[in-house]
Amino acid sequence: MSELTSAQLYQPVPLPKPQGALVRGIIKVLPPLVVAALLLLLYAWIRSNLEPHRMFLMPSAYELWENAFSKPEVWADLGSRSLVTISIALAGLAISIPLGMIFGLIMYRYFILERGLLPNIVALQAIPMLAIIPLIQTALGFGFMPKMLIVAKMTFFAIPTTLLLGLKSVDRGALDLFKLQNAGWLTTLWKCALPSAAPSLFAGLRISASMAVVGAIVSELFFLAGKGGLGQMIINSKIDFKYEQMYAALIASTVLSVSVYLFFSWLGNYLFSEWHESGGKQG
Amino acid sequence: MEHHPATLSAQENRKVDGAASQANALAFDRVGMQFPDGTLALEDVTLHIKQGEFVSVVGPSGCGKSTLLKIASGLIPQTSGTVTVDRNNLGYTFQDATLLPWRKVLGNVELLMELRGYSPEERRRIAQEQINLVGLSGFENHYPKRLSGGMKMRASLARSLALNPSVFMFDEPFGALDEITRERLNDELIDLYMRKGFTGLFITHSIPEAVYMSSKVIVMSRRPGRILQVFDVPFAYPRAPELRYDADFSALCGEISISLRQAIEG
Repeated sequence: MSELTSAQLYQPVPLPKPQGALVRGIIKVLPPLVVAALLLLLYAWIRSNLEPHRMFLMPSAYELWENAFSKPEVWADLGSRSLVTISIALAGLAISIPLGMIFGLIMYRYFILERGLLPNIVALQAIPMLAIIPLIQTALGFGFMPKMLIVAKMTFFAIPTTLLLGLKSVDRGALDLFKLQNAGWLTTLWKCALPSAAPSLFAGLRISASMAVVGAIVSELFFLAGKGGLGQMIINSKIDFKYEQMYAALIASTVLSVSVYLFFSWLGNYLFSEWHESGGKQG
Repeated sequence: MEHHPATLSAQENRKVDGAASQANALAFDRVGMQFPDGTLALEDVTLHIKQGEFVSVVGPSGCGKSTLLKIASGLIPQTSGTVTVDRNNLGYTFQDATLLPWRKVLGNVELLMELRGYSPEERRRIAQEQINLVGLSGFENHYPKRLSGGMKMRASLARSLALNPSVFMFDEPFGALDEITRERLNDELIDLYMRKGFTGLFITHSIPEAVYMSSKVIVMSRRPGRILQVFDVPFAYPRAPELRYDADFSALCGEISISLRQAIEG
């Protein structure tokens, strides 16, 4: 043994005690809260360095409360405008999701259509949204429909592309299995390709969903007539020099956007976590 | 042994008669396969497999073993020669279990029957029988991701068995499994073979597995795949695990190994 000069004695390491629910909860909640607190500090620090006549750009918590969140009429306004915005967002998704799925499916079915359509879908996505809103306005007016179309265009891209990707990644063996039973294209699609592509499609849906509220607000910025949504409230508060209300609308639109995202995340998780490899419960 | 082919292919109790009966269950005659890119995968393969035989094919990687199965099953058509087989009654297992991950074990075992239009009650009954047969009772409601590799393969076998195939093809089904699981599944598959009496065509990389399972071992050449040599395996079914340590068994494995080495070098 004496020759093994570099030998050392290694002690066993006992397993750490399992963490209690409270500790696990704190570990989960604390880090994002700390980061959020740091961001707020940064906000306060930048604000304190502003010249007094520009301080309205970054209202303090007190001003926010005093001029916005303490007022029932602001809450009522936020509520009704959120409803308008969310209905534009959902109406847009109601167009882009089915249409996107149809495009994904026909590109999967006919290779020649994939060659023809996909570059144009990419090109459509590449058109800057803000640049064509004036055109849409001129053509379609100021109602609900043009805003809905703007959201549909913004949320369209992720649907056919993720669906097509999912459909093309279906296990070859599974397809052979169906082929060996002489299963038709529709049966194979319904029982094999679509379920297999669904998690990929849902990744696209999540992207689209979070874009939908953004799209709805952007569309409203250009349409000030009538009773509009949160986007209109943002522009109006600029005109009326009510920056606290603008912040209130910004906060509301963030909450709205995150809610729609969370809903689709939850739905995807609910549908797939039991069987999908990426899902929560591991075997 | 005189059997009427029709009654043989028709149902359940096609027992193995030690040696096989005379009718061919699967015949390749001068089959060749050239892929669109010009690759010649198979050349002049003639192989007749009698009803109830269990034939294994070994050969160098990429010699067209899997292509042979795909041609036999009709997944791809051969470019020359003829294949004679009843494709309405085929079993086929892939290198992976290819279970549909969103279906539970029961749903996966029911799948092929579903595609064939069996009634739900019949599907359920037959699926449950097969699940019991492969030793997966109690796991009917598990999703594939919660099964081990060996259990997935059992579920995959049960899925094929549900159609009671008269010809059963295996494309390296146990290649990804560990040695112990693999040997257990070999025994279980032999047991199923003896109960159901299907005709087997088994592709493998393992010579001992080929010898242990089969009544005949085919050695194929490297690409373009041709049949180099056919070895008859003299051991009677059922085969005991001890057979693997038998001197005659080792000798036969040795012979095949030499033949295979020539195939790779020659």
